[in-house]
Amino acid sequence: MENKTMMKLIVGTEAMFFLCLIMAFVYLSFVSGFSPGEQQQLSIRSTGLFSMALFCSSGTFWLAERNYNSGNFKNLKRWLSVTILLGIVFLFGQGREYMHLLQEEQIKISNSLFGTAFYTVTGFHGLHVVIGLIILLVLLSMIIAGDFNHGRSSVIRTAGIYWHFVDVVWLAVFTVIYILPRLNLLK
Amino acid sequence: MNRVGLHILLQSMLHPSSDEAHSIYRLFNQFNIAAFCMLGLVIVLTVYICVKYRARKGEDRTPAQFKGSKKMEALMIGVPALLLLYFFYRTIATMKAVEPNIQANAQPDVIITGHQFWWEVYYPQTGVMTANEVHLPVGKRLTMEMRSADVIHSWWMPELGNKMDLIPGRNNFITLNINQPATYAGTCSEFCGAQHAWMRLYVVAEDSVAYAGWLAANAQPVSTTVSDSLTAKGERIFQTATCGGCHRIQGTAAQGNEGPDLTHLFLRKRMLSGMLPLNEANLYKWINKPQAVKPGSYMPNFIFSKDTVEALVHYMAQLK
Amino acid sequence: MDEAFNIPEPQSPLPGVSVSTDQGLLQWISSVDHKQIGIMYMLVAFLFFLIGGVLALLMRIQLAVPENHFLSPQVYNQIFTMHGTTMIFFVLMPSVLGFSVYLTPLMIGANEMAFPRLNAFGLWMTFFGGLLLYFSFVAGGAPNAGWFNYAPLNEKNFSESSGIDYYALGLFLSGVGSVATAVNLIVTILYYRIKGMRIKQLPLFVWMVLVNSFLILAAIPPLNAALSMILLDRQLNAHFFTTGGSALLWQHLFWLFGHPEVYILILPSFGIYSEVFQVYSGKRIFGYGFVAASSVAIALLAFGVWMHHMFAVGSGLVVNGFFSASSMLIGIPTGVKIFNWLATMYGGTIRFTVSMLFAIAFLIEFTIGGLTGIAFSIVPIDWQLTDTYYVVAHLHFVLIGGSFFGILSGLFYWFPKMTGRMLNEKAGKWFFWLFVIGFNGTFFIQHILGILGMPRRVYTYPDLPWYGVYNFISSVSAFIMGIAGLLLVIIVYHGLKYGKKAGNDPWNGFTLEWMAASPPALKNFDSLPVVRSRRPLWDLKHPENRDDE
Repeated sequence: MENKTMMKLIVGTEAMFFLCLIMAFVYLSFVSGFSPGEQQQLSIRSTGLFSMALFCSSGTFWLAERNYNSGNFKNLKRWLSVTILLGIVFLFGQGREYMHLLQEEQIKISNSLFGTAFYTVTGFHGLHVVIGLIILLVLLSMIIAGDFNHGRSSVIRTAGIYWHFVDVVWLAVFTVIYILPRLNLLK
Repeated sequence: MNRVGLHILLQSMLHPSSDEAHSIYRLFNQFNIAAFCMLGLVIVLTVYICVKYRARKGEDRTPAQFKGSKKMEALMIGVPALLLLYFFYRTIATMKAVEPNIQANAQPDVIITGHQFWWEVYYPQTGVMTANEVHLPVGKRLTMEMRSADVIHSWWMPELGNKMDLIPGRNNFITLNINQPATYAGTCSEFCGAQHAWMRLYVVAEDSVAYAGWLAANAQPVSTTVSDSLTAKGERIFQTATCGGCHRIQGTAAQGNEGPDLTHLFLRKRMLSGMLPLNEANLYKWINKPQAVKPGSYMPNFIFSKDTVEALVHYMAQLK
Repeated sequence: MDEAFNIPEPQSPLPGVSVSTDQGLLQWISSVDHKQIGIMYMLVAFLFFLIGGVLALLMRIQLAVPENHFLSPQVYNQIFTMHGTTMIFFVLMPSVLGFSVYLTPLMIGANEMAFPRLNAFGLWMTFFGGLLLYFSFVAGGAPNAGWFNYAPLNEKNFSESSGIDYYALGLFLSGVGSVATAVNLIVTILYYRIKGMRIKQLPLFVWMVLVNSFLILAAIPPLNAALSMILLDRQLNAHFFTTGGSALLWQHLFWLFGHPEVYILILPSFGIYSEVFQVYSGKRIFGYGFVAASSVAIALLAFGVWMHHMFAVGSGLVVNGFFSASSMLIGIPTGVKIFNWLATMYGGTIRFTVSMLFAIAFLIEFTIGGLTGIAFSIVPIDWQLTDTYYVVAHLHFVLIGGSFFGILSGLFYWFPKMTGRMLNEKAGKWFFWLFVIGFNGTFFIQHILGILGMPRRVYTYPDLPWYGVYNFISSVSAFIMGIAGLLLVIIVYHGLKYGKKAGNDPWNGFTLEWMAASPPALKNFDSLPVVRSRRPLWDLKHPENRDDE
């Protein structure tokens, strides 16, 4: 119980952190204003596709956890590996988006207010994905080493809380930065 | 109380001299009465309880273990809440009187721009530009616009009313209706760097005739009263030693805006944004070694020779 | 509490804190025992208290006379910035967390915190954050834009030295440490209470720690966000707060943290006062429910008042009016507790120990500080007095007279438990009077200076009527406080070495920590009775007059 509560509290404080970053993005967009057209350079389709990978990874983690609870260690390892892979795919997609913005559109953190806000929010999210992947990799290694064979640990569930959180944050970020502006709900 | 001519002034919110400052002063007095009553109550209760219920020597009494009382709680919450309700009502009323909403496109009477560490003063209706000493007419409802060229500063004239921050990228406004002619003193009220302490300012409030006269005098381009060779030398040095890169003297090639406008410098009473009385001796010290006078200000040390500084001071002393 | 935690524990019992640490330094710095970590938190606070105090005295020397040249403006600006930053983040925070971490398991009948290693992590992050901040002095200059570090003054073009970068990194580290400890405290309080202790029966100190920990979790993120942004602006040329961005964004983020922060600093002291008033009056708290509920009200409201630090930025009637109302509202749960504590003393048998003296003095000092706070919620008054010495007076009355007096009260109250020795009460009373007189002399007069127009954060001031005299009085009194501080060092040292041996329960207390040994063994408790009320020890001592809840 303690582990899960601890993770929920950490998720809570991190959620507040992302809330502040997203609110700063919105504030800058309204109060100072982004250059028209810069936000249009974001590729909803491409990033949307890679976002699907991240969203699916929550599903695959859920599957992994179910297999752990029913004692099926082979599938646990399999679905956990898929989760990690999907996370890496997402990061790859993020990297592609960054490369496009930096090299083709020349939108950097230093020459654009939109760039400042965009790279900060998505960058911190990406950092949390990396941290999540490290956690999952360590978890996978320990499972392979047999540390979880007794089957009654709360650690996998706890790691799952963090991984789902990273997913939910991306849902919020994607909505605010990619979708709402296209619907003209954000300048 | 006629304070014109006083070089250094004690500014205090206890001497309101504008409509706005009077509103605030009344509210402040009311608050102080209520606050002192509340403090008095707490002190009296504390002392009384400590004296009456102190443990006496040899006493072994176990006091009654009173749990609490919802009625008392209600009273303890209710009375302060009522007091606060009253003060909230007075707060809103006074806010409306002091800082009414102003349309951003109404032309202000004066635009103040904060710099590190001086005040740029511009009168849009006549195009007059000066620094650090603001002249205003009494008895008129004035609108002042507040801007900043660098960091956040804050305008504060305690006898004239509320503070207003000068924020880069944002235009703020205050209204002012000064009651009597005098020289009022104020100071920057938001930490703005090394010399925040000496970013003081003066408002000279005068009747409309004197005010119009002052505006007219300041609208003129530069004119020097004495035309001797030392003046010409000083003028030449000013133009060639890059002084004009930072300072403006209207009617010459010097058009900089990094430092205060100097066109009518010697019409002002103090220098360095209120730090020192304005006279030739102080001006000499300043130009000679700025960092020894106001360390942290952005005036460079030009390492001039004695003659050069003398010529400059002689020239500038005539900038009226 | 059926899960075993398999932490390897030292085999020999834990001796008390002593000057001759026969335990060895290595054992201390590698410890995960909550009692040792609590003590180390307090030692960190103490170290920075001495440094922050010296900084304050340097400031007061410079301000003792008008147009003084003791310190240049550049040096003064670093000193006042470091003084504020140190006292808040590296004195009050670790003091508060130290008491929390030491006492929480003892007061809920637990043997350890939920995550002992995380506990150590929190401590050392705080300490390293402080070291990093102070490293700035030898790395090009300390931060010099004030403890709240407004933009755009904090940007690279206005503050070239890396002081502000060290400020950001140091506070980031210590913020992470605080969050870790807060998580630990919440999980401990939720799951490690002894059988029978329901949440409604938590001792008020533990209750305050619980609420406070949630406050920390919610308040530190805005600070971290702001610190990340200023680092990005300064190091990667981002545009959060520069031209093109928004200078006000910094203020919003900072005060969203900054206002809850002051409640983070005061709530545990409220908890300490609640314990102290009960024990030294021989009564139970008047209105437990209200006192507990008020802390929740404060925690929630704390996030709705931040713009009262920004009344002069020109936000307009509606916004200023809203925050005026919310700030007045939060004054009610904060201030009415004074009457609860007075009512607790009423009808009791009051013992004027040093701990109790600080608590009683707090009642008056905090009322003064609270009333000047209400003055600031009245927007037009704020428009005259914000950014003057009236604010300096206000903040010191609430932070010293409120928060720090609580630490001192707690120190004299729990020292016997922590060390097994009594502090000298007579010397303590000298300390009390010296400190209180010095404190009031230093800060009360600053209210008047603010009303007379003296702005804050100035390295010097003109020779206006009364400015010199009042500043001089303030400076002399500050040195009296300094002498009192030295006296405290001597009292504590003397107590550690020669203090009279204390029993388990020297004050005739009510709560579980007084059932452990003084100092407690490594394993706090071997066994405890089932808890049935808020004052388990009172119930044991007065079976015929047990508490009913």
